[in-house]
Amino acid sequence: MIGRIALNAFVALVAAFLVLPIVAVVPGAFSAQSFIRLPPETWSLRWWNTFFADPSWRRTLISSLQVAMLTTFVSATAGTAAALGIARCGPRVQTVLTGIFLGPIVTPVIVMAVALYAMALSTGLVGTMTALVAAHTMMALPYVVLNVGVSLSGLDRRLLLAAAGLGADPVRVFQTVTLPLIAPGVIGGSVFAFVTSFDEVVLSIFLAGPAAKTLPVRIWEEIRVEYTPVVAVAASVMLVLALMAAIGSRFAARKLSP
Amino acid sequence: MSFAGRLATAVLLTPALLIVGLAFVVPLARLVGRSFNSPVGPFAAYAQVLGDDIYARVFANTFFFAVVVTIISLLIAYPVAFMLTRLTANWRAALFSCVLLPLWISVLVRTFSWMLLLERNGPINRVLVGSGLSDQPVALLFNHTSVLIGMVHVLLPYAVLPMFAALVRIDPALLRASEGLGAHRHTTFFRVLLPLSLRGVATAATFVFLLSLGFFITPALLGGSASITLSMLIDGFVNDRLDWPLASAASVVLLVAAMVVVASVGRFVSIGSMAGVHR
Repeated sequence: MIGRIALNAFVALVAAFLVLPIVAVVPGAFSAQSFIRLPPETWSLRWWNTFFADPSWRRTLISSLQVAMLTTFVSATAGTAAALGIARCGPRVQTVLTGIFLGPIVTPVIVMAVALYAMALSTGLVGTMTALVAAHTMMALPYVVLNVGVSLSGLDRRLLLAAAGLGADPVRVFQTVTLPLIAPGVIGGSVFAFVTSFDEVVLSIFLAGPAAKTLPVRIWEEIRVEYTPVVAVAASVMLVLALMAAIGSRFAARKLSP
Repeated sequence: MSFAGRLATAVLLTPALLIVGLAFVVPLARLVGRSFNSPVGPFAAYAQVLGDDIYARVFANTFFFAVVVTIISLLIAYPVAFMLTRLTANWRAALFSCVLLPLWISVLVRTFSWMLLLERNGPINRVLVGSGLSDQPVALLFNHTSVLIGMVHVLLPYAVLPMFAALVRIDPALLRASEGLGAHRHTTFFRVLLPLSLRGVATAATFVFLLSLGFFITPALLGGSASITLSMLIDGFVNDRLDWPLASAASVVLLVAAMVVVASVGRFVSIGSMAGVHR
């Protein structure tokens, strides 16, 4: 009995340890002073005004959203196609292909950052949107391939045969049978891709430049020197957008699952 | 498969393979090539990275953090994973949300939060001083402790999920049988529960250790001058010293370390399942 209570208390503490520190940054964004102290002694919205009135902060937010949307589009299309392609191969080729696509997940991010930075330097792509989207897509692709792969493995092949037997050509079978059935995987993978790109810091620090700078890169630059509560605003914006994606994907998954 | 069928498969795979080829395989291959391209000799960069006493401390730091973070994460995560298998549906969903929520939030935001919490004038120090536990604010930030706290916080979910996946497959009747036969609770844990969930523990350990080795943001922001890790060293080689052979050689050392971890456990731990637990 005592063991049971101790276990409950321990798990409750861990749950608090997991969640509470994340939201700790939010009150810091509502400080009236020019420094962050938790909780603030006087509250105000002045740093929110500063954030949204400053064109350079606004630009980083817009860049972040642009990069994330482009990454989502490219990785969702290429990843879904790849998952469909993998499903058509023999078991041995499947293992090799899955291994190739999982590579970016097990490679330390800093190694990828240095490798991509060197590549971007020699191709003149440092500080461009292209470099950021290419790097983020490489990171996001595995999640799309895996998610769609899981959906595909649960797909009843007889439905495809039935559609083809009834005279539908492959394109029509894909549009009317395959795609609706794997939609949860595609949407789940796309949301992962969006958040992976939107949250990504390490690759972006190396690849970003004045012309293409994402929100996390700007936050990183600020907190390494001296920061005001406007950084807490920026962090809160990232937090809220990521949470919206998390909740949105929950809803989509519930709606789509039969 | 017919020729048209093969062609369709190739067309489906081409875009993704191009992306992985151009943004993953080629840059990595060039980096490996560059590590042998020091003006002094092909292995000069490796000799310098592996032979220097200061760099040896950085390797030791990196390994120390990875081992300690892995052990702490496993010890904290196991009871949580076990609890997840025992709760009613609603409580389980709530606890699951607590475990999964952090994975959606950028590591940078989470680390920044810890900077604010552990600060000299931060809330934790004020509680310590206010409650009389300490006479003056404690240096919680910019040392090994803050790095360990931040890393465990980020990596804990990766430890909980694979262990939950293993624990949930164990038939509760086995535990009841063990207790019914008169085994002490410790015996049941060490002789039944732990052996049956060992594969999940191994997957969790692998994933946490692998991610710890390459951690950059958290040690860079929370660590002090004594807690430099390999990823920070690589960053310094590139951005401060502009020494590409050194940066490349240090990166290859990290890459090989990660590959050794994956290869040595790859037989009984599926990398796909590790990636699958993500979010």
